[in-house]
Amino acid sequence: MQFELLAQLIVSGIVLGSFYALLGVSFGLVYQTSKIFHLANAIPFAAAAYGAVWSASTLRFPLWLALIFGLLMAVIFGLLILVLGYFPVMARNGTLLALFLVSLGISVAFPNLLQIVFGTENIPLKTYGADGELGSAFDNNVYTWGFVTITTIDILKIVVAWLVVFGVVLFVNRTRFGRSITALRTNPTMAAAVGISTKTVYIVVFALGSLIAGIAGLFVAAEFVANPIMAIQWTLIGFIAVFFGGIGSLLAASVGGLILGLLSSLSSLYLGVQWTPVVVFGALFITLLVRPQGLLGKAAV
Amino acid sequence: MGYYAQIAINILILISLSASLNLLLGYAGRVSMAQAVLFGVGAFTAARVVLPPPDETTSNAVSGIGYGLGWPWWAGVICAIVVTFLAALVISLPAVRLVRGEYLILLTLAFQLGGQQVMTVATGFTGGPFGVAGVPSINIGGVSFSTLKDDGAIRMALLMLVVTIVILAIAYGLGESPFGRLLKTLREHDTLLPALGKNPIRPELLIFGITAGIAGGVGAFFAFSQGAMTPVNFNLDLSIIIISVVVLGGVGSLQGTILGAVFLGLLEPVLRVVLGDDAIPWRAVVYGGALVLMMLLRPAGIIPEGSGIKLFRRKKTPGEVMSSTEALDRLSRVSAASVPGAKPALEVIDLTKAFGGLVAVGGASFSIPTGEITALIGPNGAGKTTIFNMITGSMKPDSGKVLLNGIDITGLSPVKVERDGIARSFQDVRICERITVLDNVMVAVPHQPGENLSSLTFRPLYTRQRERQVRERALECLALFGVADKAYVKAGELSYGDQKLVAIARLLATDCDVLLLDEPTSGVDPANVEGVMQGVSKLRDLGRTVCLVEHSVHFVLQLADRAVFLDQGIVIDQGTVQELIDKQELADLYFGS
Repeated sequence: MQFELLAQLIVSGIVLGSFYALLGVSFGLVYQTSKIFHLANAIPFAAAAYGAVWSASTLRFPLWLALIFGLLMAVIFGLLILVLGYFPVMARNGTLLALFLVSLGISVAFPNLLQIVFGTENIPLKTYGADGELGSAFDNNVYTWGFVTITTIDILKIVVAWLVVFGVVLFVNRTRFGRSITALRTNPTMAAAVGISTKTVYIVVFALGSLIAGIAGLFVAAEFVANPIMAIQWTLIGFIAVFFGGIGSLLAASVGGLILGLLSSLSSLYLGVQWTPVVVFGALFITLLVRPQGLLGKAAV
Repeated sequence: MGYYAQIAINILILISLSASLNLLLGYAGRVSMAQAVLFGVGAFTAARVVLPPPDETTSNAVSGIGYGLGWPWWAGVICAIVVTFLAALVISLPAVRLVRGEYLILLTLAFQLGGQQVMTVATGFTGGPFGVAGVPSINIGGVSFSTLKDDGAIRMALLMLVVTIVILAIAYGLGESPFGRLLKTLREHDTLLPALGKNPIRPELLIFGITAGIAGGVGAFFAFSQGAMTPVNFNLDLSIIIISVVVLGGVGSLQGTILGAVFLGLLEPVLRVVLGDDAIPWRAVVYGGALVLMMLLRPAGIIPEGSGIKLFRRKKTPGEVMSSTEALDRLSRVSAASVPGAKPALEVIDLTKAFGGLVAVGGASFSIPTGEITALIGPNGAGKTTIFNMITGSMKPDSGKVLLNGIDITGLSPVKVERDGIARSFQDVRICERITVLDNVMVAVPHQPGENLSSLTFRPLYTRQRERQVRERALECLALFGVADKAYVKAGELSYGDQKLVAIARLLATDCDVLLLDEPTSGVDPANVEGVMQGVSKLRDLGRTVCLVEHSVHFVLQLADRAVFLDQGIVIDQGTVQELIDKQELADLYFGS
C-alpha cells in the first residue's frame, strides 16, 4: 500500500518536476543572459493560454492552429516587454532594480487587464468539433500501469519538457549564436568588441524564453483552465528552480526543477498537500543559506 | 464620518508601511517583497496577545473569535514589533551573506508567498482562511478607540496620525544619521564600506529588521482598528502597492512617500465611486502602469531624493570658507608626526597570486618607507592593482606576507586591514553619486557613535557632538583639496577631476597612516591633473605614507620619492626616482626618451 503510493508519487513528482524544469529553463535563459529579475515572464505564459483559448473559441481555430497562435502571442508579448519596457531603461544605464520595478509594474497591470477584458472566470480550452459544437479540445486519456496512473498530458509534459531542455542546452552550447549568448553573459565588453550585438542576443533570448513560457502556459490551459492570475505562481517556481538548481547553467536549473517537483510530490506523503509551497520555499531558503551557488552550481570565481 | 475616518486610517497605515520600506529601498537600495506578510505577522501576533484567554464562561471557541493572552494593547504592539524584527533577521541572513540585491527579491518574494500559505494553513495562529475576529480595540483610560462608532473611528484616525508621525520621524532621523549615511553608501557600492573600515553586514541586517519591525508594529494598530482580519489582507498585492508608493513618490524621499501613499490610498475609494465594483482591477492597472511609466520617464519619482521642501536648514560651519592652507594647518595639528624614511611602514614579502594558469604576481617583494610617496610603476598587467587587492585583504595571496610596521597582516579582512591603518582608493572613483560630497567624505571618518543604533538612541547628545566634529573634519579634508565649496552638492554633479579629489579627501578622512592610491590621475583631464598632484603631495605633508599606482611619467618624476618597478608580476627594480632614471635600461623601457 505504502509502496504503491510511493510509486505514484514518484511518477507525479517526475511529471511535476519536468514541468518545473521547463519553467526553470524559460526563466534561466533570460536571467543568465540579462540578469533581469524577469517577473513579467508571467505575461507570455498567460498570453499563450489566453491566445489559444480565445482563438479556438472566437476565431474557431482548430487545436493545432490555436496552440501556434498562443505561442505567437507569447513571443509577441515577451518581445514587447523587452523592447518597450527594458530597452529604454537599459539605454540610460538603469540599474537592475529599475529593470525589476518595470517588470513588477507590468506583472501587476497585465493580469488585471486580462481580468477587465476576459472577466475573472476560468476559461477551459475548447475547440469546435466536426459537429460544429464547442467541445473538449482533445482526449486526455488515463493510462493505468500497475499501481500507477498517468494521463496523456502528463506524458506530453515529460516528453516536451525534456526535448525543450536539451534543445535549448544544445542551442546555447553548440551553435555559433548560442556561444555568443555565453560570451555576452560572461564578458559583455569583450563580446561587444568582437561584434556581438547585445540587442540581437537579447531579442533572441527573450523570444526563446517567452516561447518556452508560452509552452508551459498552454499546458496549464489544456489541462486546467486559463484565468487572469494563473501565471504568477508558476513563474515564481521557475525562479526558484533556477536559484535552487544553480544559476549559470540551464541544465542545473532544469535538474533543480525536477528535484523540486519530486520534493513537492513526496512531501505530501508526510505533510498535507497544503504544505507543499512551504516545502518548496523552505528548500530554496536552506539551499541559499548553505550553498548559495545552488545545488548543482559551481562556486563563483 | 466613520467611512472617511476609515479611509484616513487606511492611508495613514499605507504611509507608515511605505515609510518603513523607504528605509530599506530608499536608503539601503534593497527591495523587500515581504512587507505585507510581515505586516500580517505583526497583526496576528498583536491579535493573539490581546485577545482574551480561554475562559469557561465565554464561548469564544464556539463563536470563532479565538483565544489569546489577554494582555493590554501596548503589549500587543511591542510583541508584534519584536516578532517581526526577528522574523526579518532570519529571512535576510542568506541575502546579506551573499550581498546581492536580487537574492533579497527572491527570498522576500518566496517568504511572502510561503507566508501567505502558512497563514491560511496555520489555523491555530491565524484562524485559517476565515481569519481572526473580535480583536479588542484600543482603550486608554476608559476612552474607546473602536472604529465601530463614529467618535471612536475619529479618535483612532487621530491616534494613527500620531503613530504615523512618530514613524516618519524615526525614518527621517535614521536617514539623516550616520547610520543612514552608511546605508546610502551601501546602496551605491557594495564593496566600498569594507574599504573604509566599516562592516557592511550589520547595518544591512539591522535596517531589514527595523523595516520589518515597523511593519509589524503598524500591523498591530491595523488589528486594533479593524477588529477582524483574514490572511487575504496581507497578500502579495499589498507588498507591491507598498513598493509602488515608494517608487512613485521617489526612492529615498519621505515627502514623496507621503504623496505616493495619499495618491494610491485615495485611488480605490475614488475609482469605486466612478467604476463601482470594477474598481479593483483598474486600480492595479493604474498603479502597475504608473510604475512602468515612472521608471521609463522619471525614474527618480515624483519628488526625487533631496529635492523636497527643506524642513530643517543646516547651519553653515566655518569650514566652508576655510582656505586650503588653513585646512592643512588644522589637519597637521591632529596628524601624528612621522619621521620620513626612517623605517618601512609597509613591507611586501614574496607575494604571489595566480588566476588559474595566469601568474598575476610572482613573488613580489618591496618596502614602502614611512612618510614618503612611493610609486608602483609598470605596464598594464604588471600586477599593480592585484598587489593593492592583496595588501588590503580583498584578495587572498597564494603565498607571501604583508607586514604593517613589522606586524603580519596577511589575509586579514578588508575591514580589519583598514582599521589597522591602510586605506585605499579605487581606479574607478567609487564616489556615491546620489549623496552630497560632504556625506561622501563624512562616511569615511572613523569612530562614529551615530553608526550604532544604541548610541543613536541612548546617547543622542554625545552622538550629535561627535557628528559636528566629523563634519568639521570632513570639511577640512575637502578644503585641503580645494573642493569644500562643493560640499553640499550631490557628488554625481561634480566633474571627474573633482570626484577624484573628493575620493582622495575621503581617503584622508579615514585617518589611516598608509594610503594606497590606484591611478589617481587616470581619466582626469589635463587641466585638473595638477590639482590632483598637489593633493597627493599634501598627503605627504601631513605625514601620511603614500603608495600609488600611476602611469603618468610626469606625475611620478615630480612627486614620488621612490619607485618600485614591476613587470609581469615581478619587481624588476626599486629605489629613489633619481636612481631609477639614472639606470639607462629602465629609463628606455619606461620613461622613454
